[in-house]
Amino acid sequence: MSLLLASIGFGLITSAVLAIASVGFTLQFAVTDVLNLAFAAVMTAGAFTAYLVNQAGYSIWLGLVAALVAGAVLSVLLNYLVYTPFQRRGSAPITLVIVSLGMALIIEFGIAGIAGGVGVSYRMGQGSTVKAGGLVLTTVQLVIIAISLIVMAGVHALLRYTKLGKAMRATAANRMLARNCGIRAGRVIGITWAVTGALSGLAGTVFAIDIGTFDPTSTDIFLVLILAAVFLGGPGNAYGAMLGALVIGLSTEVSAAYIAADYKYVIAFVALLAMLAVRPSGLLGART
Amino acid sequence: MYYLIILLVYAAVDAIACLGLSLQFGVAGVTNFGFIIFQAAGAYVAATLALPPDTANGGFQTYLGGLSLPFPLPWIGAAVAGAVLALPFTFLFGRRIRGDFAAVGLLVTAVLLNLLVTNFKQLFNGDAGVALVPAPLAQGTFVATSNGYQYGFAAAGLVLAGGVYWFVRRITESPYGRSLRAMRDNDKIADSLGKNVLALRTGALVTGGAIAGLSGAVLVSLIGAWSPAAWSYAETIVLFTAVIIGGAGNHIGAVLGAVLVPVGFEEITRFITNNNPNLPPNLLPSLQWVAIGLLIGVFLWLRPQGILPERKRVINLAAAQAGPDAQPVPAAAAAVRERPPGHSEYDDREILRANGLSRDYGGVHAVSGVSLSIERGTLTGLIGPNGAGKSTLLALLAGTEKVTSGQIVYQGRDVTPLPAFRRARAGLVRTFQLASEYKRLTVLENLISAVPGHSGDSFLGAAAGRWLWRADEERAVEKAGDLLAGFGLTGQANDYAGDLSGGQRRLVEIMRALMAEPDMLLLDEPMAGVHPELARKIGEALRLLCERGMTILMVEHELAIMDEFCDPVIVMADGSVLATGTMAQLRDRSDVVEAYLVG
Repeated sequence: MSLLLASIGFGLITSAVLAIASVGFTLQFAVTDVLNLAFAAVMTAGAFTAYLVNQAGYSIWLGLVAALVAGAVLSVLLNYLVYTPFQRRGSAPITLVIVSLGMALIIEFGIAGIAGGVGVSYRMGQGSTVKAGGLVLTTVQLVIIAISLIVMAGVHALLRYTKLGKAMRATAANRMLARNCGIRAGRVIGITWAVTGALSGLAGTVFAIDIGTFDPTSTDIFLVLILAAVFLGGPGNAYGAMLGALVIGLSTEVSAAYIAADYKYVIAFVALLAMLAVRPSGLLGART
Repeated sequence: MYYLIILLVYAAVDAIACLGLSLQFGVAGVTNFGFIIFQAAGAYVAATLALPPDTANGGFQTYLGGLSLPFPLPWIGAAVAGAVLALPFTFLFGRRIRGDFAAVGLLVTAVLLNLLVTNFKQLFNGDAGVALVPAPLAQGTFVATSNGYQYGFAAAGLVLAGGVYWFVRRITESPYGRSLRAMRDNDKIADSLGKNVLALRTGALVTGGAIAGLSGAVLVSLIGAWSPAAWSYAETIVLFTAVIIGGAGNHIGAVLGAVLVPVGFEEITRFITNNNPNLPPNLLPSLQWVAIGLLIGVFLWLRPQGILPERKRVINLAAAQAGPDAQPVPAAAAAVRERPPGHSEYDDREILRANGLSRDYGGVHAVSGVSLSIERGTLTGLIGPNGAGKSTLLALLAGTEKVTSGQIVYQGRDVTPLPAFRRARAGLVRTFQLASEYKRLTVLENLISAVPGHSGDSFLGAAAGRWLWRADEERAVEKAGDLLAGFGLTGQANDYAGDLSGGQRRLVEIMRALMAEPDMLLLDEPMAGVHPELARKIGEALRLLCERGMTILMVEHELAIMDEFCDPVIVMADGSVLATGTMAQLRDRSDVVEAYLVG
């Protein structure tokens, strides 16, 4: 029983981190039409920015803000300097996927070259542990979950109640039509890169806090989890990504406790391929 | 010296792998981000087929198999393993999934299979990998470390790479290869013209998988060991970079890329050591990956066709065919398939019937409850305001869109469940409203690709070689030449279809549809963007085709064309059929005039 509760606790934290990243990834794809495989590399860049701030003697929470900015700036630059020129030229979606893989290599190993590829940790306390029922969580872990919940609520409010969110949804549904309706699609896409980039910087930092010690390649496997969550919920569907993150996060950690920790990612893999085979539009359906 | 020989074998292995990838990615347009797992499978299978049972050597490693099979059985087994492993992934490349989604699925598969093999020690000795793989044919004094053996191995590797090049080229330059390239340029169109896209993709995946498996076998036989570290997903990116830089679709380019990228980058820098203590310890390997990333971005931007671009396939038309007095009418007439009259028991007057066809998109009823009957030999017009559902109806009839409800009977047979390519093979062929040429095929290749029943248009036919399909090819070229002369495009026969003007592309599309030998042709605005004079010529050609027994259903906005050529004319509005009759009759109906003619 306590094993189950403990693994659910781990699962909740993984889900919380995963949800931030998955919602960012799926929104990015929906609005910009780039399946950006450099997303996890941008997460790494955010995590290392936070590390630099942290090393300079500031709190990790200030680092978190810096990571947000770094992720947004890097993503906007990627779009402005790389992806948009390719899209303007009419490159096929698959070309952009390959380009994004190239960008992932440049960012990830650029950091590895500078940082030296060794594992690093933030200097921070974990706070006191909180026990609720059989769940044991540290204050920091609770903060991560709270951040995630705030982000989810924020994304919901953005999409549902703001003009920008409406414009994003319109652009996602049909870019040409949105443009003809007077929506400045280029600007909406630029802002989307900034917002989703900030989310990836944030996700990278909370991911690094969660796993404790990280290096530039730590997010490689995490990208697989993001893709699994995104495809499970339906690519381009923000609420689907939230649901997908919850399912993947819980199932990997619970299966790690009961089957074997070494195989915990297999369930994400099976989920992803099964969805692609049976229902490519995802659990919550979506644009195709 | 030893190092140089090793490098040669690496070059052979990488060249073989890149050729497989070039066939998949460059020719067939199948983006296999999991390519490395096929090489890995080949390596593991070759290793465990050659190794003794895992109780040998003190049982320090565990693995499945251990059959001690003699060379070349392990290598053959490796190729088979690569081919078989491709089969479960074909579902990713059906018609339903975007190519980039399928690519991501394979990338994820590659990452997780690597994790699985790393952790599941019973399979292939986990993280440490299998070692002590026997060198093929090493016996007595002919040991693996001897100079003679090393030279022999390198020579064998290069010969094998040459053989793979020969085979891949044979497939690519065949009519089957042309179909692969057509699918790469536009899979939806290929489907509508009778190509089984799933089978073509399966062919590319299986063939490429076998080649990748073989490359793994050669590699493992050389280095004698194989572990998960040797096949991280990133190795696939290296191979992709090689093919992109060398030139996707050009197999010499793939070999060049193999020499430049994996060999040049990976193997050579392996021997450059970083002795400067002031630099971070793994700066060089990191920079290597950064360079790969830069190469991808820079090449795709500056020279997406690679160093050696795909070759243009120029086919010579006999000069006599380009007579100045050629006309589209007789040329097009040649496309009508000869068939004995009264060859079936169904009502021969009616060729196509639709019963209550509907198609919903979300909540929108694009087509709702359309029933119609088309008589054989008629040139039926289909008109209606924008958004009336004309194109959707055409798509439903041709099978490029699935019906929500209703039934389609063609030539007395219920074709509702049949995919588009099967309907096309039965003689029901459509064209598209938007330009849909195969851009990187020449005009002539566009036409020839549509010929049904070409003996070279299958994997086995392609593998058999030119002698098998030469006669069919010559016949197809001759027929295409006649059509081109008739429509005045002989001079563009060997231009890339993507370089033509809009009007010329329409003509190519009509001619290509005719090459498919349809019994019934569904044309979506065939005269849009065509010069009015030529439009009339096309109209005349279509009418003549119908006189000879072909049936045509044509969407067209130009009412003058309808007046002159089409009888009867069907009027659609809001997804339903409003009226059917001659243009004169329709002009007398106030509801039709209101819905369409006035606006």
